[in-house]
Amino acid sequence: MKGLIYKDFVMLRKQLTTYLVFLIVYGGFCIAGVFPTSILVALVAAVGLTVPLSSVATDDATHWDRYAVSTPVSRRGIVAGKYLFAVLVILLGAVVTAVLMLLFWSFGMADASLEELLSMVAACIFLTLLLNAVTLPFLLKYGAEKARMISMVLFVSIFGGSILVGGLISRGLELPRFPDWVLLSGPILLAVFCVAAYLVSYLISLDIYRKKEF
Amino acid sequence: MNNALEVSHLTKDYGSFKLDDVSFTVPGGTIMGLIGENGAGKSTTIKCILNLIHRDGGTITVFGRDNREEEREVKEQIGVVLDECLFHDLLQPRQIGKILSSLYPNWDNKLFEHYRKKFGLTENKTVKEFSRGMKMKLAIAAAFATRPRLLILDEATSGLDPVVRDEILDEFLEFIQDENHAILISSHITSDLEKAADYITYLHKGKVALTGAKDELLDTYGKLVCSRADLEQVEPALLVGVRTSQFGCEALVKDRHAFTRRYPALTVDPVTLEDIMVLTGKGDAR
Repeated sequence: MKGLIYKDFVMLRKQLTTYLVFLIVYGGFCIAGVFPTSILVALVAAVGLTVPLSSVATDDATHWDRYAVSTPVSRRGIVAGKYLFAVLVILLGAVVTAVLMLLFWSFGMADASLEELLSMVAACIFLTLLLNAVTLPFLLKYGAEKARMISMVLFVSIFGGSILVGGLISRGLELPRFPDWVLLSGPILLAVFCVAAYLVSYLISLDIYRKKEF
Repeated sequence: MNNALEVSHLTKDYGSFKLDDVSFTVPGGTIMGLIGENGAGKSTTIKCILNLIHRDGGTITVFGRDNREEEREVKEQIGVVLDECLFHDLLQPRQIGKILSSLYPNWDNKLFEHYRKKFGLTENKTVKEFSRGMKMKLAIAAAFATRPRLLILDEATSGLDPVVRDEILDEFLEFIQDENHAILISSHITSDLEKAADYITYLHKGKVALTGAKDELLDTYGKLVCSRADLEQVEPALLVGVRTSQFGCEALVKDRHAFTRRYPALTVDPVTLEDIMVLTGKGDAR
């Protein structure tokens, strides 16, 4: 499995480097005041969603899975490798973003408190995990081409929906009030829900992959 | 001598095609050639052995272990070369070695380097920069470096020039000098198998048309070359397939020694694996 993850990182080195450049460029825009600092967390989601998709796409292009299933690494190992790779990519994106935000904050260039900035990164980690929980089973069942559309729809609807709700709130839309215990334990509940969804998604993918023929 | 591979009553039904009750054995220290026309079931058989597809019936054991019950242990013993190089285009041989070293517990990087140099595969070139022949050599080098006891090759030598094929066949012959090693190789190029294989299994329309020791098959089967008039006098049950042309007839004879005793006036030539394949196909057409 270690070899499969290494293979994914080697194959997607260029894409990851491009995203790193994007982060730095967008960081520059944030310093210049063009974008709020929170825009950087959207990049964590973009990296966390597109890089696993690209890894499946490159595997599809060479029919790599046919070879991988012939090796001693089990079908379980192949699926686990993809899920672990996605987690590592999300964490990598999150760490780079968090470091950038920390730098902005320490130089007084951030537009929010450190606590708020780091909470945004953490929320994005779990949200991206949730997105992958939905897309990865489709990716492993239908391949990258067909699953790409599902990823796009998810990404646009979640982030577009967030912007829409934000806009409506600023125009005076009142959201229903949640009890205090929900608000207090919300972040933890969200984290637990996302991790649980990711684990359930892994089990679904495993079942899909076990039935697959190459 | 232990059997490296035993395929017994293997069945896989796709609806439009059925691999039907396929059985054969590959003894240790030998090369089994799997021959057959396109769509005869060679790749389906290999896919079943590697668990790439789910079989509908039958059993497969590799060195006595069931390939489904003990999948990991079985695959640790198998080196695989499929009909195309499945390594990613942007990878270099060194990176492929690193990837496979974590997938195969017996991976031998020194051996991989030995074959890489022997096959003239440049270390810092990527897969996409290699020719088709070089890619297949890379896949074969990787298969050897897994230190397998059983090599499975699916049309691995197709598309290679005769010099490269000859070079690779020599490697195979060296590999099976060890009685604990064996090779299952499927190929359209029957001349290669005539040179290297000890046993032949001929798949025809999803069924085993014949299986056995190559020398025995080539000695038993024969090719009758005669006129139409002569052919009409021969009992059809003694023939497998017939090809007729304006110049005469050719027919595959099941037992050429018995046939010669019965029809001493007719000439029965030695047969090649290609003759067996072509004339069996003609037999169906008839």
